[in-house]
Amino acid sequence: MEVSDNGYMLIQTIFIPIVFSIIILVVGKRLKEKTGWLTAIPLIYISLLLCYININIPYWNILIARYRWSEIFGDFILIADGLSSPIALTIALLGTVISIYSIYYMKHEERLELYFALYLLYTSGMIGTVLSMNLVAFFIFFEFMLLPSWVLIGIWGTGRKELIAFKYFMFTEIGALSLLIGIATLYSFTGTLNILEIGKLSANIDISILLPTAIALLLGFFIKMAIVPLHTWLPDAHAEAPTPISALLSPAMIGIGGYASIRIIYTAIPKLTYLWEFMTGLSILALITMVYGGLMAIAQDDIKRLLAYSSISQMGYMLFGISSMSSIGISGSALLYVSHGLAKAVLFMVAGILMHEFHTRKISELRGLARVFPLTTTTALIGFLSLSGVPPFLGFWSEIFIFAGSMYTAIHDGLDIVKMIITSLAIILSVFTAGYGLWTIKRLFYGEPSEKILKVKGEPLIAVIPLLILSLFTVILGIYPTPLIVNFMNTLYKLFS
Amino acid sequence: MEYWEICGWFSWITPIIGAMLIPLLSKIGSKIRDHGAVLFSLLSMIMTLYLISLMFDRSIQWPLYSSYDWIIVPHAPILSKIKVGILIDPLSIIMANIVAIISFLIMVYSLGYMHGDPSLTRYWFFMNLFIGNMLLLVLSDNLFQMLFGWEGVGLCSYALIGFWYRDSKKDWLKCWVGEGEEAYPPSHCGLKAFLVTRFGDVVMLVGAFILLSIIGTLNFVEMSHIHLHSENIPLILLGFILLFFGPIGKSAQIPLLEWIPDAMAGPTTVSALIHAATMVKAGVFLTARIFPIVYLWSKTIPELSLFFTFVTWIGTLTAIIAALQAVVSTELKKVLAYSTMSQLGYMMMALGTGGVSDEYIIGYTGGIFHLMSHAMFKASLFLAAGSVLHTVGSRFLRHFGGLRKNMPYTFILMSVAALSLMGAPFISIGFWSKDMVLEAALISRQYIVFIIGVVTAFLTTFYTIRMISLTFLGKKSSFIIEREREGHYLHESPKIMLIPIAILVAGTLVFGVTGFYIKDLLEEIFHETMLPIHSYGKGETNTDILITTLSSIVAFSLGILAGYIVFIVRKISSEDVINRIKIIKDIRYILYRRLFLNKLYYIIVNNIISFSKKLLSSLELGIIDHINYFIAELFKKLSVKLLFNLEIGIIDHINYVIAELFKGVSKAIRYIHTGLLNYNIIGIILGMLLLLILLLSL
Repeated sequence: MEVSDNGYMLIQTIFIPIVFSIIILVVGKRLKEKTGWLTAIPLIYISLLLCYININIPYWNILIARYRWSEIFGDFILIADGLSSPIALTIALLGTVISIYSIYYMKHEERLELYFALYLLYTSGMIGTVLSMNLVAFFIFFEFMLLPSWVLIGIWGTGRKELIAFKYFMFTEIGALSLLIGIATLYSFTGTLNILEIGKLSANIDISILLPTAIALLLGFFIKMAIVPLHTWLPDAHAEAPTPISALLSPAMIGIGGYASIRIIYTAIPKLTYLWEFMTGLSILALITMVYGGLMAIAQDDIKRLLAYSSISQMGYMLFGISSMSSIGISGSALLYVSHGLAKAVLFMVAGILMHEFHTRKISELRGLARVFPLTTTTALIGFLSLSGVPPFLGFWSEIFIFAGSMYTAIHDGLDIVKMIITSLAIILSVFTAGYGLWTIKRLFYGEPSEKILKVKGEPLIAVIPLLILSLFTVILGIYPTPLIVNFMNTLYKLFS
Repeated sequence: MEYWEICGWFSWITPIIGAMLIPLLSKIGSKIRDHGAVLFSLLSMIMTLYLISLMFDRSIQWPLYSSYDWIIVPHAPILSKIKVGILIDPLSIIMANIVAIISFLIMVYSLGYMHGDPSLTRYWFFMNLFIGNMLLLVLSDNLFQMLFGWEGVGLCSYALIGFWYRDSKKDWLKCWVGEGEEAYPPSHCGLKAFLVTRFGDVVMLVGAFILLSIIGTLNFVEMSHIHLHSENIPLILLGFILLFFGPIGKSAQIPLLEWIPDAMAGPTTVSALIHAATMVKAGVFLTARIFPIVYLWSKTIPELSLFFTFVTWIGTLTAIIAALQAVVSTELKKVLAYSTMSQLGYMMMALGTGGVSDEYIIGYTGGIFHLMSHAMFKASLFLAAGSVLHTVGSRFLRHFGGLRKNMPYTFILMSVAALSLMGAPFISIGFWSKDMVLEAALISRQYIVFIIGVVTAFLTTFYTIRMISLTFLGKKSSFIIEREREGHYLHESPKIMLIPIAILVAGTLVFGVTGFYIKDLLEEIFHETMLPIHSYGKGETNTDILITTLSSIVAFSLGILAGYIVFIVRKISSEDVINRIKIIKDIRYILYRRLFLNKLYYIIVNNIISFSKKLLSSLELGIIDHINYFIAELFKKLSVKLLFNLEIGIIDHINYVIAELFKGVSKAIRYIHTGLLNYNIIGIILGMLLLLILLLSL
C-alpha cells in the first residue's frame, strides 16, 4: 500500500534548500551572521513538511515520489516510510536549530554567505541520502554530503584544519569507493538499482557473492559511522570542525551510516540476517566500539574530542541494535539516531558556548560554571543523562529496545549463550557512558568558579534557546515515544516476519 | 473514576506538577514558593491517607489496579504494549503513606532548617520531584514504569546530595564528608551515589531483560497469573538474582553500599527523607513486590528458592558489617547512615528467610513492618541530628558533648527515637518489628542468620548509646566552648523543626505500645491479600516466640550495659582498650577504613581512567593514528619512487631511447645521400633491375 507524492513534497525537501543556498550566496554578504535567520526559513519549512509527512505515515504506509530519470540508472525514486521519515525530520530539525545557533557562534567569522550556503547544501545532501531509493541517487547524495562538509571544515575549522579536512575527505572517499564497488556488483547481478526490487531479487543470488558485496557496502558505511578501527578520522574532524558543523556532523551524519546499513543491508540483502556468525561478529565489533569509545572519552581533557569519542561509542550502540537480529533491536537503533541526535547536538552546542565565552576547550581549565550558566548546565545534564539511558529522557527507550531485542533473540528460541553474554556485557558496560558524562558535568559545572569565569556577562540567549528546544523534545519524546516507535516498527517488523 | 483511582493517580502527579510550578512561584515571592512547595506534599499526603481506609474494607477484591495504554509497539514479539498504571494493594498503600506522611513532615521541618539558603527554589523543585517519583515507583504496576520512578529518585538524590555543589572549603564542617584521604566534597558524593546505583541498575536491566524474554511481561499483575513451567530454570534464577542487584544498589547492600555514608554530604532533610526513610527502601519494596510471584513459582520449581537464600545472606552480611562500621564512625550522620544500612539488611533478612520457609507470612510481614518502623524512627533521628548539626555547626562527634543542657527537647526526642532503634522491649515500635525479623529467621531454621541478627541487635544498642552519649552527655567539647566564647550561643531549635520530630517520635511510642496488636493486624491483612496460598506450616510455636523475645531482651540489655560502662559512666575508656589491645586497634582501623571496600571502588575507577589514558596514548594515538599517517607516507613515498623510477626513469627514458634510435637510424641512412652523380645512376639501374626481377617472378 503506497501513496503517490503528487504534491512534490519529497522533492521539495531536497531542492528548496539548494535553491535557497544560491539566494544566500548573493544576499548573505550584507547580512553577515544574520544570514542564519534566512537559512532557517527553508529549514523550518521542510521541517514542517516532514512533520506533516511523519504524522500521516501510519495511514499512508509509504509515500513515494517517482520520476523518470535515465535508461541506465532507472527511475529517480524518493521514499518516505516509517524508517526514513523520522530520521529526515530529525535532520531537518537539527538543521533549523543549529542554523540559529550559528548566528551566535560564527559572529566574527569571514565569508559567512559561503558558510550558510554550504550549510544548506550539506543539509539537503543528508536528507537526499535518507530519502533515496535508487542506489545511484543514494551514492550521489552520499558524496554530496561530503563535499560541503569538507569545505566547511577546511575553511572555518581550527587547528590543522586543512590537513584534518583532507583526512576526513580521504577516509570517507575510500569508503564511498568501496560502496561503489558493492553497488556495481549488486547492479550486475540484479539488473536494477532500485533498492526494493533488489531486495526481492537478491534472494536468488548465491551467498558467496552476497557476502563480499555486503562487506564492501558495510565498509563504506562503517567508515561513515566511525566503527573501530575505521574511526580515526572522527576525533580530529569533530574536534576541529566549527562547532555548529560538529553539532551536525556528529549526530546527524554519522548516524546516516547506520540508517544506510539498515536500509541497504536489510532491505536489499535480507538473506544476510540469517547468517548467525556474521551477525554475531558484527555485534562483537559493536561491543568493542562501544567500550573503546567510552574508554577514550574518559581519557580526554578536550571537550570536543570527548564528545567525538562519545559519538563513536554511541555508534557502537547503534551497530549493536542493527546486529541484534531482532526487529525491536533495529527499531531501537533507529530510535537511538533520534535520541543521540538531539542529545549530542545539545552537548556540542554547549561545548561551543563554553569555547566562545571562555576561549578554551580544556576541561581542566573550566570549573564551577553552573553559577553563571544555569540553563546551559541543565541542558547539558539532560543531554548526558539521555545518552546514558536514564528515564524520562528519550535515550532510555532506545537503550531498552536495543538491549531487550538482543536479549530476546538470544533467549527465546533456544539459548544462545554467546549472544546472551555479549548482550549482558554491553548492558553492564553502558555504565561508562554515565561515568564520563556525569564526571564531565561535575568537572565543568560544579565547584568553585574562578574570577575569570565570574566576570562573564550572562548566558547568551540566542544560543540557549536551541538548547532548550532540543532538550524539551528529549523530555517529551522520552515520556511519549510512541509516534516514533510506531513508525519504526511498522516498517521494520517485515524484516523478521 | 472511583475515588481510589483519583487518589492513586494524583498522589504522584501532584508533586510533579508542583515541582514544575515552583520556578514560577519563586518569581512571585519566596514565601509563596516555600509554602506552595509544602502544600503540594500536603495534598499528596491527604490522597494517600484516603487509601488507608481501603485496607479495612472487607469487600474489596485485591489488588486494585487501573491502567491506560502508553507505548504501543506494533508487531513486536515482546514489549508490544507498555501501559501506565497504578497497583493498589496493602503493600503499596502502606509504602505510599510512609512516603507521603514522612515527606510532608520533613518538608515542614525544611521550612526551618533550610531557611535563608540562596538556592531554595532548586531545593523545593527536587524535593517535590522526588516525592512524585517515589510515589510513582511505589504505585506502579509494571517494571518499566517503575524504572521511571526508580531512576527519577536516583536523579533527585544525585541533585540533592550535591545540592551545595560549590564544594566550598568554607563549608568543610557542614557539607563535606570524611576526613584525611577520604574527604569528599558534595558534588563528588552526588556523582558517586549516582554511579554506584547506576551500576546496580544496569545489572538489574540484564536480569529484567532475561525475565522479559522468558516470561513475556513485566507487569506485576500479569506475572502473578502466569504458571511457569520448568523450562530454563537456571536462566530464570539468574534473571531474578541479577534483578536483585538493583535493590542491592538502591538499598545499599553489600557490595554496593559505600555510597550512602558519603551521601551525607547533602542537607540533613535530604538524608532523612531520601537516604533513611524512603528511597533506600525502594529496593526492599521491589523485593517485596516480586516476593509473592517468586514464592509461588518456587513451590513448583524448588530451585527458585535459591533466590531467597541469596537475599537472606546479602541482607544478613550487610546488617552486621554496617553495624560494625557504625561503632567506629566519627561523624554523627555517618553513624546514622551505617545504621540505616544495617537495618535495611534486617529487612532483606526478613524477606529472604520468609521466602525459604513455609511460614512466609512472618518474614514478609516482618520485613514490611520493620520498613515502616525504621522509616519513623530513623527519620526522627536524622531530623534531630540535623538540629544538632545546625546548632553546633560541625559534623564531627568529637565536637559535641554536654548538649543536653542546651538542647533539652532535642535530647529527649532523640533518645526516645533511639529506644526504637535499639529495640527497647515492649514500648518501642522498633522492638516489635525487629522481633518479627528475628522470629522469621528462627522459624525458617536458619540459625546462623538468627545468631548474626541477635549479635547485630547488641551492636545496634551499643553504637546508639555511644552516639547519644557522645552528643548529649558528658562535658562540652573544646569546639563548643570556643564557639560560645565567640558569641554563638547554642540554643534549642525553633518549634517548626521540633514539632515534626515530636510527631514522628510520638508515632513510634504509640505504635510501640500497641505493637503486638499492629503486628497481628498487619499479618492478617497481608495473609488475606498478598498471596493466593496460605501458610503450609504449623505457624509459630510458643517456643519460637519465647526464644526470640528473650534473645532480643538479652541483646538489648547487654548492649545497654556495655554502652553504660564505656560511654555513660566512662568507667572503661574506649581509647584505652583500643590502644592497649593490638588486635582491637587493628579491627578498629579496618572498620574505620570501611573494610577498604570504599578504597576498592576508587582503585577500580582510577584504574579504568589510567588504563584508558594509556590506551589512548599507546593504541589510539600511537598505533592506529600512526598507521594512518604511515599508510599516507607510504603512498607518498611510493608515488615519488614510482615517479623517479618508472615515470621519469623508464617510461620517459624509453621515449627518449626510441627518439634517439630513430635519430640514429636516419643518421645512418643519410650516408646514401652522397651527392655524386655516378652513385645515383648506379642506384637507379640497380633499382630498376630489382623491380624487373620481382615483376618477372610473380
